[in-house]
Amino acid sequence: MALLEINALSKVYPNGTQALRSVSFTVERGEFLAVIGLSGSGKSTLLRCINRLIEPTSGSIVFDGADVTHIKGDALRRYRQQIGMIFQQFNLIGRYSVLQNVLMGALGSVTTLDSILGRYRPELHTMALRNLEIVGIADKAHVRADSLSGGQQQRVAIARALMQEPKLLLADEPVASLDPATSHGVMRYLGYINRQLGCTIICNLHFLSLVREYASRVIALKHGQIVFEGSPAEITDDWFRHIYGDEAVEVEIR
Amino acid sequence: MRKRLSQLFLDWLACTYGVVLFHRIVWLEVISARPLPFAWAGSGSATILTTVPDWVLYAIVGAVGASIAGFTGASLVALLRGELAPNSWQRRIALHVGSLLLSLTFVTGWIVTKISLTDMFSSERLRAAGRIFSSLLTPEFSILPQAIAAIIETVYLAFMATALALPASFVLSFLAARNLMREHQWTRLLYTLLRIVTNFTRSIEPLVWAVIFTVWVKVGPFPGMLALMVHTISSLVKQYSEQIEDIDPGPMEAIASTGARPLQVVWFGVVPQIVIPFLSFTIYRWDINVRMATIIGLVGGGGIGTMLNQYQMLAQWHEVGLIVLVIALVVWVMDYVSARIREALL
Repeated sequence: MALLEINALSKVYPNGTQALRSVSFTVERGEFLAVIGLSGSGKSTLLRCINRLIEPTSGSIVFDGADVTHIKGDALRRYRQQIGMIFQQFNLIGRYSVLQNVLMGALGSVTTLDSILGRYRPELHTMALRNLEIVGIADKAHVRADSLSGGQQQRVAIARALMQEPKLLLADEPVASLDPATSHGVMRYLGYINRQLGCTIICNLHFLSLVREYASRVIALKHGQIVFEGSPAEITDDWFRHIYGDEAVEVEIR
Repeated sequence: MRKRLSQLFLDWLACTYGVVLFHRIVWLEVISARPLPFAWAGSGSATILTTVPDWVLYAIVGAVGASIAGFTGASLVALLRGELAPNSWQRRIALHVGSLLLSLTFVTGWIVTKISLTDMFSSERLRAAGRIFSSLLTPEFSILPQAIAAIIETVYLAFMATALALPASFVLSFLAARNLMREHQWTRLLYTLLRIVTNFTRSIEPLVWAVIFTVWVKVGPFPGMLALMVHTISSLVKQYSEQIEDIDPGPMEAIASTGARPLQVVWFGVVPQIVIPFLSFTIYRWDINVRMATIIGLVGGGGIGTMLNQYQMLAQWHEVGLIVLVIALVVWVMDYVSARIREALL
């Protein structure tokens, strides 16, 4: 059984923009799936539909054998707990310490009152520190999150997502606001989480060189539709022009 | 079509306004120099058709004007909407009509406010002014202890109004923030209701609230505090909720994606982004409240304002002078301190 099945998923925004047009694909356990396409092709909408931050207009999402397209309330929160997410802008709480930010990944398993009073179970503290070690910044646990560099902040965001012990990790342009050297650092941690921790990853990416290096499979979106599905090696120059348009030139990131 | 109709309607309002001013002010007051005191109501008794009330005639003449404007295109509303071509004769005429209305308004304002330079600068009036200014400038220092006690009451009154308004405003501001409330129809309804109520309560001046509360609870600092509190809540809810609407939605998204509950999303995704501006608004509000509290005392809201009112009724201007001095000092100090604290926060 596949981990995730997306069937004929469509999204029309209230202003009439059709962001997704009947998108269907499956994701097997352990995959590192890259989603490519121009800005505005529907990549971000797709990721946010998967964990229901955005409500799809039609179609269905089946996760781990269960239809999650219309679940609400506690069921939706339990579903989201199984799916970590990282963002282009990291979305940390800058005024809080790194450790507090990582602990926020466990909010779903802490009561509202305990979380507001900062009472996290000791094992969550241990886990948070271990996750910071995994991404190599345990020494920064007690500094303010906004004092870190971009790459470090994205690693904190990864540690926060790991607190959920996710079955699936959604990464929305995780390196788009980082410089090339830092990008590889962050991507390597994602690769490590994928292979060593067995976490399935769906990652929106701009750079094909990163796709070729880290992804096990690729889908390409254009105007909200899947126009390519296959392995990274299969993206030839012709496919590239088809996905990105005739004027596009591939830029490499080393 | 709707646009044409609204243009016609607004042109009619403008024309009727012009006709009313022209007849009531220019014709009756200035040209015929009617001996009666000026009033908007009643018959002008100079109209041609004595059987028809003046106001009906005004409306009819206004409608004629609006129709002419509609046919020729020389419409004031079209001018304000920027629809008239530059250098067209319609635009020139509309501009003339506009400036005529503006001058009529100014003349009317002059007559309605009963501005009289002869009253202000007659030797008798100037002597009275000299008397009061010289008294104010030689304050009576013997009542200083009472004045200090009263202003302390005022400062505490302002502080309590702010402190009690703070938690209520904090909670309500989240319910009055569009970005948090637009998801479901019930929360949207609550948002709309809250916006209406706060806009309404805010548009009522604290002075009027004080009058209401002095009837409800008896005269003293308590009704003054209540009046300031109500006004503070509605003002802070507006400022707070606008701040909430301005936040970066990213952290909220991140917290929601972990499977957190709605309250946790607000506490971790929203609150850290707004504490500092909230503190700054609150301190500024306390500063405003100290100033307002002195005024509220005039209608029985306690503190230095009540004391000022008493001495002013007795025409003891030296004492009034001291009280004004004390108020000015405290307001200046509050202003300075609050500005420095807000600077340090931001």
